[in-house]
Amino acid sequence: MIPLSWYLIFAAALFCIGLFGVMARKNAVAILMGVELMLNAVNINLLAFWRYLYAPDFAGWTFVAIVLVAAAAETAVGLALIISVYRRRSTVVVDDLSLMKG
Amino acid sequence: MTIQQVFFLAVAAITLFAAVMVVSTRRIMHAALWLILALFGVAVSFALLETGFFAVVQVVVYIGAIAILIIFAVMLTRQVFLDVGPQLNRGWWIPAVLVAGLYAALVGVLSTWSGFQTQAAALPEAASDLSQFGLALVDVNAYAVPFEVASVLLLGALVGAIFVASDRKGVER
Amino acid sequence: METPAFTPAMFLAVLPELGLLVLAGLVLFADILLRRRRERDLGLLTFGGLLLVAGLTLVFSRPNLVPELVFGGMLRMDWATYVFRLVFLIGAAISVLFTMDSDRRIRGGAFYLLVIVSTLGMNLMAASADLIMLYLAIETTSIPLYVLSGALVRDQKSTEAGIKYMLFGAFTSALMLYGFSLLYGFTGTTQMYALKDMFDTGAIPTAALVLVALLILIGFSFKISAVPFHFWAPDVYEGAPTPVAGYLSTASKAAGFAVLLRFLAVVFPDLYPSWLLVAILAVSSMIAGNVLAMTQKNIKRLLAYSSIAQAGYMLIGVAAGTELGYTSSIFYLISYLVTNLAAFGIVVIVGRTVGSDEIASYAGLSRRSPGLALALMVALLSLGGVPPFAGFIGKLFVFAAAVQADMIWLALVGIVNAVFALYYYLVVLKVVWLNRSENEEEKIPVTRPWALAVVVCVAGMLLLGTLFAPWYQWAMQAATAF
Repeated sequence: MIPLSWYLIFAAALFCIGLFGVMARKNAVAILMGVELMLNAVNINLLAFWRYLYAPDFAGWTFVAIVLVAAAAETAVGLALIISVYRRRSTVVVDDLSLMKG
Repeated sequence: MTIQQVFFLAVAAITLFAAVMVVSTRRIMHAALWLILALFGVAVSFALLETGFFAVVQVVVYIGAIAILIIFAVMLTRQVFLDVGPQLNRGWWIPAVLVAGLYAALVGVLSTWSGFQTQAAALPEAASDLSQFGLALVDVNAYAVPFEVASVLLLGALVGAIFVASDRKGVER
Repeated sequence: METPAFTPAMFLAVLPELGLLVLAGLVLFADILLRRRRERDLGLLTFGGLLLVAGLTLVFSRPNLVPELVFGGMLRMDWATYVFRLVFLIGAAISVLFTMDSDRRIRGGAFYLLVIVSTLGMNLMAASADLIMLYLAIETTSIPLYVLSGALVRDQKSTEAGIKYMLFGAFTSALMLYGFSLLYGFTGTTQMYALKDMFDTGAIPTAALVLVALLILIGFSFKISAVPFHFWAPDVYEGAPTPVAGYLSTASKAAGFAVLLRFLAVVFPDLYPSWLLVAILAVSSMIAGNVLAMTQKNIKRLLAYSSIAQAGYMLIGVAAGTELGYTSSIFYLISYLVTNLAAFGIVVIVGRTVGSDEIASYAGLSRRSPGLALALMVALLSLGGVPPFAGFIGKLFVFAAAVQADMIWLALVGIVNAVFALYYYLVVLKVVWLNRSENEEEKIPVTRPWALAVVVCVAGMLLLGTLFAPWYQWAMQAATAF
């Protein structure tokens, strides 16, 4: 059978890859994708802990559901802001967004 | 090694490969498509955890809504869609080192924890009872408040997204 | 801690949230129904509603002396929740006053609705006693604030502020959330008041807890804009509509402190490295904020860096970790709320006529509007920590707390910083009072809502700076209630 550790290592890897995307990418849409990967890693963590240690308590499930809601809301608002910037500037590359410096 | 283990490793490998492609591929549209594969891999791992409900929710919400939203955004910001220049910051190796360090720290720290090697026990009957979960979400002595606040959050996000994205032509300095 | 079963009386514990929800609905309908002159009416409705909710909270949501968990342990009714709620509601009400008439480009009820929703989120942040609830409350606060920062959809700087704030916020909240997921994994509970007992069993390695504390502190540092998670603050404050910048720098920062204080007091009280981290955050925020503020030409950026430094002073009290430390931080927050709202409010008023936020354009303000110049002087001197204003008493308590907790070095760093910081506040005052400009005859109009807000803030600064005992009592009751 699969031990809990496999899931946790998998989730940690996914989280770190997402984190790398957030820190290294220039494109705002790509940064948001990195955030989505991080949030997915959190959900794997939560469900794995729940499955192996704490079932059938519903705290883990509720947490996952709330994370899904927040992720959807954050993405919707994030993409709306990205489109709003694109309309003014014709770019979504974060490096080019440098009207303000210092 | 059991079949289940092999299957898990395959799913994890595909998911992580897709995730690496999401953060490294040049074309943003390709990144979005890789993201869908990665999200699907996560859904499969949810199913392996015997939480079929969340596997379905993952497919519907993440792939059906969020990924499609991202693809829409990519297409609406179409110049970037054609952008084939370097997509990483010049100092991209700094985050790479930081992230590798964080990963080593996370795995190292987790492996010292006593629960790390826990094997799966049979899932209790009550754990797969969705109606109990539904009741917990509307029970004032459980999760009714977060459940209600989540709807307020969605209302705020809806109004906010429309507020900034609704078209008003012209550029002002 | 026992979680009592639901009783209808518990609705009083969420009275402010219910009130805000009703107000949000009213604003939405009024936005549709009122067609003429609606901008101002909506502002008045929101302001009145927020005041009413604050009043109702003051009277009916007063907690018992014994704190209790309500709604299945999701929220906690205690003095800390109570005091912070009033802080947020009053901060929001004053921000709405400054928003009215400030910018014709701010349209419709959506703006006010988002202010209300984020205030609701802040209320829940202060009240949360459960990780699930806390995460949700933080998102409910942040997501409307991202939109509000980018609310001037035709202004390049504003949209840019929105996107920067959103990207940075999503990133840090994901880090924090990973920390939360590990906490759940280690303990099997999301109830904050049950976590510490699980730590005490010793089953969780300390290194793991330190890592978790680090991840979570990153999330909180972003909310209070402490160095090194402050990068967003100057850009966002400069680009966002000025009333929103004021709101971000006061109420939103206070909300961050509310959860930081509760988390450190309840979850990690015995984890020494987390207190050390807070002390490091305090020192780096004070130094970086003050040094970078010296060279700013734009008043909003100057206030942004100054607010980073102010977060550093407040963190001194948190790092002290004593009852006096907590009390002083909360008192500082209250005095900072009225002070910084006044400063940003005056930037709104002057910016409306002058059309610029450059410090140079404040030349001759003392002749164009002596009242405003006087109010700005009070606000900046209070920020600088000059008696008899609120900021002085706040700093005094914070430094005293550090000394009492045997962190004399921290108090010394704070005092040196406060002295240096006075320099750049005085530079602005010099421009306002001594520099001449060509258009000194042109008066700066101050509408009635603005006048009211400025007067309230100035009165608050004087009151907190002189008759501080009752407010200090409140802060103490809040600090001991976590």
